[in-house]
Amino acid sequence: MPTVSPHLLLLFAAQRLTALAPIDIAVLALYFVIVIFIGFYVKDSTNTSEEFFLAGREMSAWIAGLSFVSANLGSLELMGWAGAAYQYGILAAHWYWIGAIPAMLFLGIVMMPFYYISKTHSVPGYLQLRFGEGARAVSAISFGFMTVLMSGVNMYSMALVMKVVLGWNISFSIWIGAVTVAVYVMLGGLRSAIINEVLQFVLIWAGAALIPILGLIEAGGWSNLKAQIAANVGSNDYTHLWSTLGSFRDNPMGVHWTGIVFGLGFVISFGYWTTDFLVVQRVLSANNLRAAKMAPVIGAAFKMAVPLIVIVPGLLALTVLRNPDGSLMHLVGQDVAAATGQHSYNEVLPLMLIRYCGPGLLGLGITALVAGFMSGMAGNVSAFSTVWTYDIYGAYMNKNAPDRHYVSMGRWSTVVGMLISVGTAYLVAHAASIMDYVQALFSFFIAPLFGTVVLGMLWKRATRSGGFWGLLSGTVASIGMWIWVQRDGTALRYIALSRDAQPMAENLYRALWSFLICVIITCVVSLLTRPTPVSQLAGLVYGATEIPDDGATALWQKPIFWASIVIVVFFILNLIFW
Amino acid sequence: MAEGTGQTERLSIWFFVGLLPLLYGLILLPYGIYEAMGHEAPTALNQLHPTLWWGILLLLFGAFYVIRFRPRKG
Repeated sequence: MPTVSPHLLLLFAAQRLTALAPIDIAVLALYFVIVIFIGFYVKDSTNTSEEFFLAGREMSAWIAGLSFVSANLGSLELMGWAGAAYQYGILAAHWYWIGAIPAMLFLGIVMMPFYYISKTHSVPGYLQLRFGEGARAVSAISFGFMTVLMSGVNMYSMALVMKVVLGWNISFSIWIGAVTVAVYVMLGGLRSAIINEVLQFVLIWAGAALIPILGLIEAGGWSNLKAQIAANVGSNDYTHLWSTLGSFRDNPMGVHWTGIVFGLGFVISFGYWTTDFLVVQRVLSANNLRAAKMAPVIGAAFKMAVPLIVIVPGLLALTVLRNPDGSLMHLVGQDVAAATGQHSYNEVLPLMLIRYCGPGLLGLGITALVAGFMSGMAGNVSAFSTVWTYDIYGAYMNKNAPDRHYVSMGRWSTVVGMLISVGTAYLVAHAASIMDYVQALFSFFIAPLFGTVVLGMLWKRATRSGGFWGLLSGTVASIGMWIWVQRDGTALRYIALSRDAQPMAENLYRALWSFLICVIITCVVSLLTRPTPVSQLAGLVYGATEIPDDGATALWQKPIFWASIVIVVFFILNLIFW
Repeated sequence: MAEGTGQTERLSIWFFVGLLPLLYGLILLPYGIYEAMGHEAPTALNQLHPTLWWGILLLLFGAFYVIRFRPRKG
């Protein structure tokens, strides 16, 4: 096992992409000083459980909205999708547009009123109110388990990136990230996590926006870039969003439009954005119903712009990245890179950063990546601390403790969660395949959970038994399909309904089937069991709840007005890049 | 009450949003000027002086937020 080196000089390994100048270290150090300061600064405002776990429910729509989108803007995601854009072309933008925008708007306009007026502290908390303890237990335990694992994956990823890019020792990066995040989340709870997420959002743009700007200047504009990509890869497919999705064979990703629209755009996206407590928790911190509805709309508007700093650099790399001899650089998959010493797809963003950014700007870009990783850890660990304290410890172990005790439990569970994450990071360091399993595990729960929550909110007839068995059977079906494909690769043709489907299609169709199984089982079991009295559904279900007025009077104050503008822009963007 | 940081605090979250870019602008701008005087790093398009211009942009963005959301008495 790697050990922590006490000597800064030993932090630098022999192989690295670049090194930091003193000005870069000053930029990075300044970020650490500010985030630790914020933790201490807001500590006095996190004395009650409402303050610690939900930031006092006093965030404005802008803060909650930026935090909402930022919680998802981790560095793992930025680097991964920039690499995917290099590998698959502009199709990767679907994960930012159809794979996010409709779901974010649906959360804000349709679902948020129920989350907000039910006064739940968490998504498992809503499931308990609607479907009882069984559904809450399944959801809380799986979510708590997954968040600490994901935090560990984030931690290891950060350490790996720092090692590849700067040659830093893995243990040094893991511990510096873990201790910093543990300190500021333990002190300030969700409040300091949210403040740092908003800061991170600004930092990511400050650190990464120069890449597409300079890249497009170097490529001679978008039209020239498209022509150069077509010449370099020998195909026009890399710069079209929809026109190549008529067949699995016609596009680099090997997917069909039905998988993108129904699997990604409907099930995966709606599942993630409307039921993953990590992102929903940010919106629950809003200071009133209108802010809670507006926050996802604001988040969606900013989310639409993210492909500029993620997808465009990946596309630019297809034409501007050069070897030292001037020839075009060809990036390869992780396995090939490990064997041949070439750069992998996932290194696109750091390579582009190094191409355009000298001392100072390089430090800013690296700081943005570090901030993204730390924010990912903080988001996971603060959500874990909330679900552990409210939905596991407070629900099953110690129901009637004073509020002060739960705040204390929240602080300690943050530290323990972080230590488990560190353990996970070392586990992943020794068996990289664990990272794939953890990410696959996360996908098992999301699609069926969306089926359960959306039926619970929109269908009065859904019963407790229906919700529990639907959630369980959808999850089991998802795991079953995954194991089937793992054991027999040819099974993919049955799940994706095509012999030409590529591995990327499996996630989309597995999510779609597990969602449908969850919905069908929930409906059948509900219709066979005794209906829940409508009086018990007030505040939880559409049709049994009087939605309070959100206070908007003028048109420009109405969330639906801004959601309409966002969806129109969304359609225009899809048409432009059709 | 300061927005986002709690009932008892004076510094708003937007103050911090401005503070970090302002400090970065203060670091990057002088270094950008130094680079523009013939000490450019060997990066692509360094003739456009990106450090200098980005430093100015961050400085202006940060200064706007820090001034707009500076702590005031009462």
